[in-house]
Amino acid sequence: METLAAGTARRDASPVPSDKGLAKAAEDAVVLRVSDVHKAFGDLKVLNGISFDLRRGDVMSVIGASGSGKSTLLRCINQLDPPTAGEIYLNGVPFGFRVDASGKRTPDSLSNINRLRQDVGMVFQQFNLWPHMSVLRNITEAPVRVRKMAKAEARELAEQLLAKVNLLDKRDEYPARLSGGQQQRVAIARALAMNPKVMMFDEATSSLDPELTGEVLDVMRGLGEEGMTMLVVTHEMGFAREASNRVMFIHEGRVEEDGPPEQVFDNPKSERCRAFLSKSYR
Amino acid sequence: MESFKEAVDISLFWEYRSLLLGGLAFNFYTWISALVLVHVMGFSMCMMRLSRVGACRAVGTAYAELFRNTPEYILLTWVHFVLPLLLSVLLQTRLNFPPFLSAVLALGLAYSGYMVETYRSGIQAVPKGHIEAGRALGMSSIDITFRIVLPQAIRNVLPEMLNQMVSLFKATTLVSLIAVPDLLYNVVIVTQEEMRPLPLYTWAAIVYCVIIFTASTLVRWLTERWRSRGWA
Repeated sequence: METLAAGTARRDASPVPSDKGLAKAAEDAVVLRVSDVHKAFGDLKVLNGISFDLRRGDVMSVIGASGSGKSTLLRCINQLDPPTAGEIYLNGVPFGFRVDASGKRTPDSLSNINRLRQDVGMVFQQFNLWPHMSVLRNITEAPVRVRKMAKAEARELAEQLLAKVNLLDKRDEYPARLSGGQQQRVAIARALAMNPKVMMFDEATSSLDPELTGEVLDVMRGLGEEGMTMLVVTHEMGFAREASNRVMFIHEGRVEEDGPPEQVFDNPKSERCRAFLSKSYR
Repeated sequence: MESFKEAVDISLFWEYRSLLLGGLAFNFYTWISALVLVHVMGFSMCMMRLSRVGACRAVGTAYAELFRNTPEYILLTWVHFVLPLLLSVLLQTRLNFPPFLSAVLALGLAYSGYMVETYRSGIQAVPKGHIEAGRALGMSSIDITFRIVLPQAIRNVLPEMLNQMVSLFKATTLVSLIAVPDLLYNVVIVTQEEMRPLPLYTWAAIVYCVIIFTASTLVRWLTERWRSRGWA
């Protein structure tokens, strides 16, 4: 009962323009809608009703303590861990469920889920490059196998993306011979090769040495400036403050703060957020 | 001393070389045919063993345990003598297995039990994140299995796999027991003719030993090369 109330209150609190025409335009621009998403692993409740809209060009940083549910949220969105309740829409299309004629909700087929996943890029903390493939093949694999792109075309695209992340000279190397920062930049290029509508970053710099985080954050910052819609789970408060236009603070699977970085960092309403931030800025 | 000299005397073995080494061909035929069965059954039963469906998992596990824990010799005689009888009763027709078929079937089944476990350990050593990266990109389960998981899994267990293949070759010397005309079977035939078992058995042992030693040395050499390149 309490979780439901909190979820509803949060949704009402999200900024919706009052003007009807404006509201319609904003609705059109919503790329990702997360609506009252719950996730439990057995008895362990990780997400307790998360709702937010991500509009085209939004760069939203998700912050919060370890175990608050940030990563689970991303994994729920692209159905790696399907939510136990709640709804996700990608460009208005239900993601992971369908509603039959009688209005009953059922899990969607894997092939439909895979079709929507193509539009949601995901960058993992552990890079997860495929070690038996060269850098170039890591990037061309999904466009060729999933999008059925011609090999030559995929190769060209991969080279463009590698140039963009400054790694064109490494195209024929194997991942094991790259530094962590380089591997992560390849992973970003791999996700971009599918031309996604949204990019999700799951603590993309957390397993990197401090001197390597910069090169990855620069690439992410550049993407945001180009207008990519991004959902960034991060511990990098500097990035959250400077490179994102929205910051969401999650605590125990609930949204505690959601607003522009100035508001969340300088003037947080939630006591927990204040406590978290004071610990994060040493 | 006299018997040692007799044992290492190669002349008799050499005299019958075409018959004896011709028998060796049957060791290789059995080996290759059994290998096909080993990998086909090993891989498919491994997929069952790792299935999300409980019944499939039970079948895969039972299969691996049954064949891993039955001695090859017992399996060989059972497949050759008992299985045709059972099938004869079941199908109401008299059935006999040619020795070669029984040999391939028995050795193939026996070693596929081990291969189930080898494939499994290779597959389970592939980090979950590599699979999730594929899923997140919208790749199909088939593409993920055959393009991401298996190539890595096989690299993980290639040395182990090759060693098992060498062991399987060793086991092919058992097939003379059900009258597959391999090297050892022909040694028995010639011995009955010439009544000089010492040099024949000794040279048969030496020939097998050289072949198997060469094969395992090759495996070791390849493994080291792969290790130094960072895979396997």
